[in-house]
Amino acid sequence: MIKKHIQLSLFLISSLTFAYGQSSTPGSLFQLSGKIIDAANGGTLPAASIAAKGTSNGVLSDKNGKYTLKLTSGPVHVICQYVGYKSIDTLLNITGNTQLNLYLKPASQSLNQVNVQAAATAPKEIATQNLTVLQGNDLDRTRGLSLGDALKSITGVTTFQTGPSIAKPVIHGLTGSRVLILNNGVQLEAQQWGQEHAPEIDPFIANQIEVIKGAAGIRYGADAIAGVVSVSPKALPTDTGTMDGEVNAVGMTNSRLGAFSAMLEGAFGKKLAGLSYRIQGTYKRAGNTSTPDYILGNTGLSESDFSAALQYHHKNYGIDAYYSDFDTKLGIEYDTEVGSISDLEMRIAEGAPVTPYNFSYFIDRPYQLVNHSTAKARGFYNFSDSSKLELQYAYQVNTRKEYEELSFSPSLAPALYLQIHTTTLDLNWDHKDGGGFSGSAGLSGMNQGNIRMYEYLIPNFVDYDGAAYAIEKYTHNNWLFEAGARYDYRWLRAFAFDANAAKIDVTTTDYSGLSGTLGSTYNFTNNFKITGNYSAAFRPPSINELYIDGVHASLAEFEIGDANLKTERANDFSLSLNYSSSWLAINAEAYYNRINDFIFEEPTGTYYHAPSGALLEFQYTQANVYFRGVDLGITVKPLDSLEINSKSSLIYAWNETINNYLIYTPPARLQNGFTYHFGAIGAFRNISLGAENVYVAKQTQVPPGYDFAPPPNAYSLFNAHIGFKVTINKALADFDIAANNLTNVAYKDYLDRFRYFADEPGRNIIFRLRVPFNILKNNRSNNN
Amino acid sequence: MIKLKHGVYVLLGTALFYASCSSKTEEAVQPNIANETITQASLKFTNQANPADTTSCTYTFHLDNNDNVTSVDSTTLKLKANSKYNGVVYMLDQTQTPVFVVSNEIKQRENYHLFFYQPTPISTAPVISNNSPYIPGTPVTPGQPPLNLSIVRTDLDTNNPPLQIGLTTVFTTGAASSGNLRFVLRHQPNAKNGTYAPGSSDLDVNFITIIQ
Repeated sequence: MIKKHIQLSLFLISSLTFAYGQSSTPGSLFQLSGKIIDAANGGTLPAASIAAKGTSNGVLSDKNGKYTLKLTSGPVHVICQYVGYKSIDTLLNITGNTQLNLYLKPASQSLNQVNVQAAATAPKEIATQNLTVLQGNDLDRTRGLSLGDALKSITGVTTFQTGPSIAKPVIHGLTGSRVLILNNGVQLEAQQWGQEHAPEIDPFIANQIEVIKGAAGIRYGADAIAGVVSVSPKALPTDTGTMDGEVNAVGMTNSRLGAFSAMLEGAFGKKLAGLSYRIQGTYKRAGNTSTPDYILGNTGLSESDFSAALQYHHKNYGIDAYYSDFDTKLGIEYDTEVGSISDLEMRIAEGAPVTPYNFSYFIDRPYQLVNHSTAKARGFYNFSDSSKLELQYAYQVNTRKEYEELSFSPSLAPALYLQIHTTTLDLNWDHKDGGGFSGSAGLSGMNQGNIRMYEYLIPNFVDYDGAAYAIEKYTHNNWLFEAGARYDYRWLRAFAFDANAAKIDVTTTDYSGLSGTLGSTYNFTNNFKITGNYSAAFRPPSINELYIDGVHASLAEFEIGDANLKTERANDFSLSLNYSSSWLAINAEAYYNRINDFIFEEPTGTYYHAPSGALLEFQYTQANVYFRGVDLGITVKPLDSLEINSKSSLIYAWNETINNYLIYTPPARLQNGFTYHFGAIGAFRNISLGAENVYVAKQTQVPPGYDFAPPPNAYSLFNAHIGFKVTINKALADFDIAANNLTNVAYKDYLDRFRYFADEPGRNIIFRLRVPFNILKNNRSNNN
Repeated sequence: MIKLKHGVYVLLGTALFYASCSSKTEEAVQPNIANETITQASLKFTNQANPADTTSCTYTFHLDNNDNVTSVDSTTLKLKANSKYNGVVYMLDQTQTPVFVVSNEIKQRENYHLFFYQPTPISTAPVISNNSPYIPGTPVTPGQPPLNLSIVRTDLDTNNPPLQIGLTTVFTTGAASSGNLRFVLRHQPNAKNGTYAPGSSDLDVNFITIIQ
């Protein structure tokens, strides 16, 4: 049954037109040309291979998915391949110049993202850096989770958490403003410096999430010294006269989370051909999370998101507009605001909440209210010589209000109010491919303004950034070479409050620096390659590192900035090996990231005497540090229906200046699992069953004197899932039931700031449903 | 009163923000407002035997304009030996105008607050119960002469069953001695049970105490 289904989808050739109906004599040369397109989202697939079987004739599609193959007339066996997608293997009879668009379907039983990654590296802006794509089933299985949690399945990526509702992605041991997040091509500009400031992105909009591990400043600008997370919605439909929708629903037993997301998209026909749209909305509500032994008070959240996209594409140019709004209210666990070190020490000694709480959806103080709105306009022009010009403008407003627990004040005001406005303008030019060369160059500019109210933590500031970059790739036989350079300039004017003189200190600083990348890939065979990359990147100090002055309530810390901090500079070396065959995929990466003038918080050894008691004073300072580690992903398919995978990551971080370890380095992490595909049983199709074990070691490499409690013990969790598809109203609906922490293990995670106060969540059973539906159908369409 | 004042600040802040949006928003720096601050905590005592005999001690936090503490000072508590005193708590937030009497607000929120009084040094571990004003975990120093002071709280809140508060107390002194009095206010929203553990500290200070 399943075999037949695959066979059918292999022949998804939607348009086969004969451009020139000229008669021919056998043996003469003709052109077979067209585009290779992702059947799932209509996007083009660059670097997909297309070849005539039994000949040495084979080419890769260019960055717009176009290919041209020279063939002799007569019957020819054409094979089109792209890893992560089902191949097309078809017989054509060539009688003249022929145009053929090939639609590849993502492999529903693809090897997991380890393998997809191997294929996806070539078309990307930085070809020699380690890129992982989370999409398809792997992405579907994260629906309802926060962005940070969704990324945990990627080797080398983990999260830095503040309780169960706030998670920030950590790449190769670094987080915060060192990890750049792109929301539909727009660099997310919020208050990323804050440990308890989760990324303001609705993962339901994502069709794929790309993660670049390593210093990627070259393409995305200063700051991205640890990596980039890019959340992309699928391309808007281009099939004229269609209208489709999709409904997603998620329910969780732990926290009793309910999430509902709906999407409507379509492309106009006739006079409005080329115009397409999508609107999407998400509502999410969760109550208190439970650990195996108790309920965590006030850990609920509510979130409502909305996005709309409109685009007009015509032949070789297009414009699109995008708007998204993210709105959330996040409860912060009760009893985690401590007044003093002795409070904190008492909490640590207890290790669990003193007060029993019941389940509730009610969100009380302390909580955060965060809103993020993004408006974006983009235009592009494809020149006939395959070069492309692209201009993007975006405006974002992030408003963050933090409400503390009040003891005696009747105030209704937040403790902290921060609003940041960001305007960005990006110009990118992909020059024409030729002679093995391809590349791009661009300019980008940013203006930012920050406004604060109530408590003083960080000052108001204005910031102007400018950058210019160029990246060039050269492929020759089995080699790919890549080099790029970028210059960034930042002008920062801060309106810091001088607490003693009670006046505003206007301080203007500027930072500038060069980033670069140099890399090479050698393909031993089509499915085995080695890539080496060196990237240099820098990050100017963030506003909190320069000017923060205040109490960090849940850490018993008093933080002090240093206005004289210099930029930190990363030199990141990586070597990766990719092998993939029909039954085995291996992706191994080793890296060494040396960061000079790394900015971190150091205890000063003195105490700050707040009315509530003594707090430890921390000052931002700089040191030379390095991170080195290994990420290893292996997938084995001993049977067509069985897939076994293993992911492990090891990381070691050392501070050379103080000759000690770096705090909050992720401990060793191992994930081993399998998925078995049953095929179809009755009305249930694509049935799959899987289980995995996640083992996280105890972090033993910690600097003494930097933490209030020793790292927690190692833990081992079991997760399981079962998924299937059922036809509902002629469309295949996805069902998925997953159980996380199946054995209900009580554990603490080193990278959760609230480990001082409580355990991590216990067993959680997650129900997911996705129903696509078709409203208007184009009768010319033979897609699906 | 306080509500009105905050309301005015919010309105003022919002107005300033919108007014400045059109031009140089970031330069129109808002005033620093902390929702809650304690700048002064005092204990006032009246000798039960002689109402004219009063004494007190005061702890003061000096704040900068960011509402961060720059320095503190405190006065010594002097009590007569072998006497009984009625004690009253008096706490202020002097950053507000008019000065905000924190202890009055605590009286209004008595079901969420509990005061603790711990003399040191002590020769035996303090007796801990729902009615004990002593702090669990206080180290015992058998070698040192103890501060001969015992404390009981004399007020009750409206929890069911009622729990003590500690805004009013009776201090009983023994023989002449000296040491410290640790004075702690615990904030225990929806969690007050008479013990120290729930919630977090709003105030945690020490007074040098002399019994003579």
